Amino acid sequence: MNTLITRGIQALMVAVLIGAATFAMMRALPGDAAYRIAAGRYGYDNVDTAAADAVRDELGLGGPALPAFLSWLGDLLRLDFGTSLVTGNPVIEEIGHQLGASMALAGVAVLLSLVLGPPLGILAGLRPGGVLDRLLLVVSTGLKAVPQFLMALILILILSVQFRLLPAAGHGEARHFILPALALALGLAAVNARIARDAMARIGAMPFYSFAQWKGLSPHQTLWRHGLRNVSVPLLTYLGLQFVTLVEGVVVVEAVFGWPGIGHALVHAIFSRDVPMVQGTALCLGLSFVLINAVIDVLTQRIDPRRAT
Amino acid sequence: MTLLNAEDITVSQGGTPILHPVSLHLEPGEPLVILGETGSGKSLLAQAIMGTLPRDLTARGRVALGDHLLDAARPNGFRPLWGRQIAVLPQEPWLSLDPLMRASGQVAEAHRLVRGLGKGEARAQATSDLDRLGLSGAGARYPHELSGGMAQRVAIAAARAGGARVVIADEPTKGLDAARRDEVADLLLAELARGGGLLVITHDLALARRVGGRMIVLREGRVVETGATASVMGAPTQAYTRDLIAADPENWALRTPAAPGAPVLTATGLAADRGGARLFSGLSFDLAEGRILGVTGPSGCGKSTLGDVVLGLLRASEGRVDKAKGLTATAFQKLYQDPVAAFPRHRTLEPTLLDVARRHGQSQARIDALMPRLGLAPVLLTRRPDAVSGGELQRLALLRLLLVRPKFIFADEPTSRLDPITQKQVIDLLCDMAETEGCAIMLVSHDPALVARTADHVLSLGPDAANVDVTPPRVARALQ
Repeated sequence: MNTLITRGIQALMVAVLIGAATFAMMRALPGDAAYRIAAGRYGYDNVDTAAADAVRDELGLGGPALPAFLSWLGDLLRLDFGTSLVTGNPVIEEIGHQLGASMALAGVAVLLSLVLGPPLGILAGLRPGGVLDRLLLVVSTGLKAVPQFLMALILILILSVQFRLLPAAGHGEARHFILPALALALGLAAVNARIARDAMARIGAMPFYSFAQWKGLSPHQTLWRHGLRNVSVPLLTYLGLQFVTLVEGVVVVEAVFGWPGIGHALVHAIFSRDVPMVQGTALCLGLSFVLINAVIDVLTQRIDPRRAT
Repeated sequence: MTLLNAEDITVSQGGTPILHPVSLHLEPGEPLVILGETGSGKSLLAQAIMGTLPRDLTARGRVALGDHLLDAARPNGFRPLWGRQIAVLPQEPWLSLDPLMRASGQVAEAHRLVRGLGKGEARAQATSDLDRLGLSGAGARYPHELSGGMAQRVAIAAARAGGARVVIADEPTKGLDAARRDEVADLLLAELARGGGLLVITHDLALARRVGGRMIVLREGRVVETGATASVMGAPTQAYTRDLIAADPENWALRTPAAPGAPVLTATGLAADRGGARLFSGLSFDLAEGRILGVTGPSGCGKSTLGDVVLGLLRASEGRVDKAKGLTATAFQKLYQDPVAAFPRHRTLEPTLLDVARRHGQSQARIDALMPRLGLAPVLLTRRPDAVSGGELQRLALLRLLLVRPKFIFADEPTSRLDPITQKQVIDLLCDMAETEGCAIMLVSHDPALVARTADHVLSLGPDAANVDVTPPRVARALQ
């Protein structure tokens, strides 16, 4: 219960801080926002001083910063995220569309990383210093060291361009998921595998793990009944933290593969100075970070009774 | 019928023998104690019999368990017998229970997976096992909700659930106080009375005495003496066994008290808290040069806290400590429990000690003079802390304190990690130094026998703050 209250307070602070930071950063960007917004609305070729002035008058862009920020905060308390400066649609609707696409991609990526990483990590951790362990260390360090945009490009070059197995971009079919999800999952799995490996090696060396076998349990029974549950606690905790990497990755990977998600939208909103969209998107990502960690708190407390006290 | 018969068991590491041939047999109803210090090979012997030796060690010899004949060189052959023929009791029961599984589940799984009972039947059997051990209602608890003694009993139930008749207990009383130690011994004997075999590996003489049966004394990988436990302990034939038994605090001679010198400190009405709970209150005592104040009590009762309060490392919640006029802060020193952690690891000992000597205006000559008095060979100074035995390192730690010319030493469980013979050496030297160097000592130990035979006054801290008394041990003993 206490943790949920803490998380609630965190969510509030996240909302205020993200709102203020994005607002300040958008104001601090060089160039005339009116021109960029006009470009977003009418296309770059149709922008002239008249159009920019019209936008400036309509949105009151010349006004002081503080009242504009406070009115955004006030609207937020009424759950009103405002409207996009470019499309004129409510921000909440725009985000709703894109969030679905992003969550689908992120979900597939996380699942894929969980299928790839932890099983290998656990196998390696059962025999620390063995061949698999050393191999996994090299591979996972290598994968983690590759930035996501490069990983995406490498996958496109190999699987789409060279072997023509999968589409390089697009959205709508199952096969469109594979490359972007894999680009995200490999980096996540590299770290998942290390966490699982270290946890398994640590737990395998604990007295209770030996004692379970001395009771007469087979190695398999010991792993299933005493190994996996204990490994899952640090793994789950880490999964919550990995959400940051995931969001970062989603922004990059969506841009590379042209995936119509929230990361893609964020990048475009920044280009066209669509402040309500930027604030709404960043807020949405920040709050989901708090939400995911709250869910993980509850889950780990369920698994590990020591954490509940 | 012999339950277990092990012949010519040896253990070697890379060709070097570390356990020389030992044979033993276990009969129903008659316990066997293997007694030895750290490094005697007693745990290796047990591990060779169970097939649980670390990979880099090789065992040889034959083990007959019921109808099974096993080769100690092939540890994989033992695995199917774990839980079914041999039950192994772990050293530290708390760490030996899965922290994420309820107590009853850890017993029931052995009934179900090892003995092959059905799910409901296994659960019922686990509940009745726990009831029989006096743990009614504790089955739903997680290990962190159990006391050390309860965890020990859950571990016994879990180890026995597979139906094994031979129980091997490796140091089952490590870190337990006297009352809890006897409780464990009685539990093991109760299990034995049900017709099983019991092998106890220990360095604890009190446990050995209580378990009884037959005994094998090991030293440096060789058998020193064998025989009935009562006769070995009553009339040892070997010099080593005699030393070992003489080193048991129960058998120590009473220390002749030194004449008290100048007063060092006075404590008045001390109280301290930890985590919002009061540890002790209303403690008043004074200490003079050459005197030893013993502090004893169960773990967590505030023994170390009291010492830190006297040193001024912690602030007292109530009361005050008045130090004698003219004493500097460095005249109050602490001897730590773990000497290895009290020395820089990557430096040889000589420069470490010289630094201290120089800082306090002493010369190399003072170190050279103290070394033989503490029974230390000069060659030790050229080594690093990890290349020196625990007993030697603790004496070097004492030497380092003496370089500061202390008037008060707070010795916090200074021998709890040492073997009995080494423990006696270190405590004797500590008492000697108190007398000759004219310094007051506060000696903290969980062993009441050690404290009673060493200290001039004993302070027993109880689990609740009201249970505090300051009694001179001689008076206490005269009253008994």
